[in-house]
Amino acid sequence: MTARAQSFWARFLLPGGLWLFLLFAIPLALVLALSFGFTDDLGRAVYAFELDNYADAFDPLYLPVLLRSVGFALATVVLCLAIGYPVAYYIARYGGSKKHILIALLVIPFFVNYLVRTYAWVALLADEGLVNSALGSLNISETGLQLINTPYAVIGGLVYGYLVFMILPIYASLERMDPALIEAGKDLFGRPFQTFIHVTLPQTKQGILAGCVLVFLPAVGDFVSAQLLGGPDTYMVGNLIQDQFFTANNWPFGSALTVVMMIFLSFWMVGYLRSAAREARDPVAA
Amino acid sequence: MGIVDLGAPFTRRQALQAAAVGAMGAYGLSGCTVSRELDVPEGGVSVKPGIDGDLLIFNWAQYMDPALKKAFSERYDVEVNEINFDNLEAMVTKLRAGGRYDLIWPTPEYAYRLNKEGLLANFDRSDLKNADGISSFYDSGWWDPNSEISVPYAYYTTGICWREDEVSGMTGSWNDLTNPDGEGRMFILDDYQEAIGEANLINGWELNTPDPNELEISKETLLEQKEFARGISTNSTQNLVNGAASIHQAWNGDIVNVRNQVDNPEVFRYQTCKEGVPVGTDLMCIPATSRSPGTAMLFIDWMLDPENSAQNVMWNGYPQPYEGAREAFASLVEEEPSIDVDLNQLGEGGLEYRLDSPEDRALWTQIWTEVKAS
Repeated sequence: MTARAQSFWARFLLPGGLWLFLLFAIPLALVLALSFGFTDDLGRAVYAFELDNYADAFDPLYLPVLLRSVGFALATVVLCLAIGYPVAYYIARYGGSKKHILIALLVIPFFVNYLVRTYAWVALLADEGLVNSALGSLNISETGLQLINTPYAVIGGLVYGYLVFMILPIYASLERMDPALIEAGKDLFGRPFQTFIHVTLPQTKQGILAGCVLVFLPAVGDFVSAQLLGGPDTYMVGNLIQDQFFTANNWPFGSALTVVMMIFLSFWMVGYLRSAAREARDPVAA
Repeated sequence: MGIVDLGAPFTRRQALQAAAVGAMGAYGLSGCTVSRELDVPEGGVSVKPGIDGDLLIFNWAQYMDPALKKAFSERYDVEVNEINFDNLEAMVTKLRAGGRYDLIWPTPEYAYRLNKEGLLANFDRSDLKNADGISSFYDSGWWDPNSEISVPYAYYTTGICWREDEVSGMTGSWNDLTNPDGEGRMFILDDYQEAIGEANLINGWELNTPDPNELEISKETLLEQKEFARGISTNSTQNLVNGAASIHQAWNGDIVNVRNQVDNPEVFRYQTCKEGVPVGTDLMCIPATSRSPGTAMLFIDWMLDPENSAQNVMWNGYPQPYEGAREAFASLVEEEPSIDVDLNQLGEGGLEYRLDSPEDRALWTQIWTEVKAS
């Protein structure tokens, strides 16, 4: 491409770039600026340059909250992968002419607000809710199980909330894969399981990785699931940050926690990007 | 090939430049508050009743009978528009950012701070025809010593709701939160003042104690309660109706709603506690930046009218401290009179949350964070 053509096409970046600058970069800079600020006597956030909020953010008190959030998010990733891969595999390989309908069926529920969908889970998992009455009528459990207000309910809510972000990239990578590769594996006397492990799985590695990152990052910072489905011991980083803004009246500390969290999460993101870049440069070795 | 491409490499030099620009931006902002300077006249705003434009009221959702807004609109030939907030911090942020509303619903603590900032208009209660019906408890409150920035809208007690079919041996004390019959099915309110407040009362401290040693002991009380609890939540209505809770620290108005929503209201009992009864209030205030403060004052008077306030109570189920509304609420809860607010209680055993020192607020919120995070 000539330099001239390049500069012509670069202009198309302008609207999107401007949008991101105004509504993403500037607010982010304000969060960063506020994280060095303090709260005045009337409860107003004031910009300043103090490091106190960061000293507080690394208080060991918050370590269990962070570990819990990462633990919940990792459990969510594992479950999403276990549930999502077979679904993506079925649709990509055997969906046939119904592929697009199946994908639409997966995506449509996600148009409904996450908060509303989580409220639906509250009704499902309640002691006298649908799941427990089904268990009761099947004589599986007469007294009913405590499902809601447990860590399991929180992880369940996260899996439900972010599952589609696992399925779609895996589906895309399966779609891109040449089916002849599987046939070749079989021709080389691979049993179906061996063929899957040695042929399909490596071919979809980047899709799996993308899915894991897309599920993990929002799950770590989530607060809705823990707030609505959690119990006394499910407090997550997202809840901690939300409380700083809405109840503790401490926006500067909330901002500092947000910045620390973003730095923490960007390590995972950079790790993923490097792996993706390596794959793009040298697909065979990766 | 991944979903995201790296594109052009972002060099270290560019990163440093970006950081420098960010830091300069932060330096330029230094000392500014997040809110902007509002155009409020020196010496404050003084309001007289009289139609001076349409109304925009900024309220909690589902907190006022829409029929009353419509009737006001027809009576005075003005529009009454309503928008809602779902927490006070968001409301105050919008007000500070220059949002112009004619009527807002803060708590005393928020009203106190907004007034200190000069964001509330002054008015003379004697200009309100129905002001005589307001409970005398609301004359010269600590947040409004001259009764010139606020009138009460609703008030509520904090107590314990329990299910009589599952829990026995309640004693009328805050210690009943850990009644053994409720183990694993007890909820504490997710509100730093309500939670620390009941722990303070259990330990025999002042409700609003700023003493770090006392608060440390209250924190231990809360940690023990947390072991016993099923959750920390302000959704008491939902937790009680769907069967998750058998004991719930709760606001009395929510129990009216619970009893309306279940098939067996008689088992949902409510008690206030002998160690002390926290009483909360939502106020009506006119922001200094209001475009139609005169209409807003007429609207306040309209809501205080005995017939209108009775109608409003029957609609939203929250007790209101004026003539007409008090009788209506008593009739609403005649089967469980403990839900009613006893006005004598407000004078004597009734306690109010009051943390107007920022250091105390910070200490309290820190204690609560430690309870929730551990």
